[in-house]
Amino acid sequence: MLKFIVRRIVWTIPVLLLVILMTFTMMRQIKGNPFQRTDRAVSESIQRNLDRKFHLDQPWYVQYAYYVEGVFTFDLGPSLVQSNRNVNDVIKDHFPVSLKLGMFAMIWALVLGIPLGIIAALKQNSIFDYAAMTFVNAGYALPNFLVSTLLIYFFALKWKDSTGLATNGWGGWRTWILPAIALGHAPMTIFARIVRGAMLETLQQDYIRTAKAKGLRYRRVVGLHVLRNSLIPAVTVMAPLLGFLITGSFIVEFIFGIPGIGRYYVTAVTGRDYSVVMGITVLLAGIIIVANLVVDILYGYLDPRTRDART
Amino acid sequence: MVQPLRDRRAGFEETLLRTAEESGWEAGTLRRASLYRDAIHRFTRNRAAIVAAIAFSIIFVYVWITPWLSSQDPYALDFSKAYLSPSWDHPFGTDQFGRDLFVRTALGGRVSIGIGFAATIAIMGVGILYGALSGFLGGWIDNALMRFLDALYGLPYLPFAIITLAIFGTVNFWTMVVALTIASWFTTARVMRGQIITLKENDYVRAAHAVGARWHRVLFRHLLPNTLGVIIIFVFLELPGVVLGEAFLSFIGLGINPPKASWGTLAQEGYGEYQAHPYMIIIPSLAIAWLILSAFFVADGLRDALDPQARKNF
Repeated sequence: MLKFIVRRIVWTIPVLLLVILMTFTMMRQIKGNPFQRTDRAVSESIQRNLDRKFHLDQPWYVQYAYYVEGVFTFDLGPSLVQSNRNVNDVIKDHFPVSLKLGMFAMIWALVLGIPLGIIAALKQNSIFDYAAMTFVNAGYALPNFLVSTLLIYFFALKWKDSTGLATNGWGGWRTWILPAIALGHAPMTIFARIVRGAMLETLQQDYIRTAKAKGLRYRRVVGLHVLRNSLIPAVTVMAPLLGFLITGSFIVEFIFGIPGIGRYYVTAVTGRDYSVVMGITVLLAGIIIVANLVVDILYGYLDPRTRDART
Repeated sequence: MVQPLRDRRAGFEETLLRTAEESGWEAGTLRRASLYRDAIHRFTRNRAAIVAAIAFSIIFVYVWITPWLSSQDPYALDFSKAYLSPSWDHPFGTDQFGRDLFVRTALGGRVSIGIGFAATIAIMGVGILYGALSGFLGGWIDNALMRFLDALYGLPYLPFAIITLAIFGTVNFWTMVVALTIASWFTTARVMRGQIITLKENDYVRAAHAVGARWHRVLFRHLLPNTLGVIIIFVFLELPGVVLGEAFLSFIGLGINPPKASWGTLAQEGYGEYQAHPYMIIIPSLAIAWLILSAFFVADGLRDALDPQARKNF
């Protein structure tokens, strides 16, 4: 097990380097001069100084090496648009907000989605099952800009006085609930569906029949034998979903006016703030890679058969 | 005494059918050996899948027929008719410029579905090529290609598409297709590789190698046709994701340029007016949801029909 973990951790380094290289290559393809804010030409000597300062006069692999060095020393360079801030400041200001929002959304998705899936599977083909699955499928298909807008429409316009939940900004629990629901509803439906499917499959296994046959109580069969094996698939989708929640909150942050990293990212792209765009992309990629790493290790622990297949 | 061939055959079939009944299979599935005939049979008996297929066709018909039949001009501005709520003349109401939303939603659907299908086809092309080559060649090439894919999995989906759009500098139908394709072909490639590797071990593939078939014949004649079922399922699984991705990009302002619109752009326009005219965002969003749900259930039905062994985990 230890060998597996070490091998898996070491393996993330080349992956991270490759991701940085991909991002770096793509960012170099974007046309336009970030220093040229107006039509007036930048004088040649200034341009040369700028090029030297940002190592733009060097060949690409040297620039890449500089960038990698920056990433590993946690210095992502200055912002190209806001002259008094650097990328680290931007991330420090906005990332914790997104992280928190993503965590709340994940908690919401787990707390609602997993019980829904379990109960639907245990009462398969009952009215509850159909109702739960209708709810889940509808939730899966509705785009989250509609969910967000409807939440705001009802909570800010219709029932404002009775609930007291805020629909704009970020500060205090009143502002956290609605965006977390809006962001978490899609993963919630995925959890519910996966858990239901896995439960139904596990319930048909021979060892469940054996457990029942030897007279174990229903609660013990379900709690010990079925649940344990049914939650493994849910663990495997947690990593991509967590990545999705932290990185994919563009729309929810935009609609709820939350100063998170997703909203800032869009601003940075349209404002051509390349170093910020690149810094955030690398950060998000890093999060996804780490999340995948954690899940692989967890999965190797839960299901030892997979250890060899996943180096 | 040797039985006449026909009798022997009948006896054989009878035994088969009896065995089948005992093991709980349905007799119908045994009589025909053809996978696709079986699949069609299973699909048409799956009520949810049929309803989904009809729903899927309805939205196609609506999207392609409406702009031809309607007398409304989707681009004509008439401020006296702005913000009309849904009525007989304007089933989906009108927008801030007085343009009929019934026709505009249909036109937006053409863009959304068009981009969706084009990107899905591109994703299939790239994914199948990559995955099939990787699985077929095996060895260190397979290893390298898969490690590369692992790294790509680390890239966040929407930011990747956004950067691609920024590289092009403009957003139109084809740049959108390319951006969405680049951001989401990985899963198809991975699944295809798995399929090819499983199939490669089959006896008929070895037999083909043994009688001296060249590699391209084995690949195109024996391996790829057998992955067709999975490919068909994947088309319906990728399509919703791509349509949703396009809607997200349009919603944050990176959609194709006005006066053209996709469902995402319409939803974004509607978002600006949600307090007074909620129907403007609800209708295009429901259109997206309709497409996603029907495609999803068609995929589900197809999976049950084409691949009965891999019952749904999802």
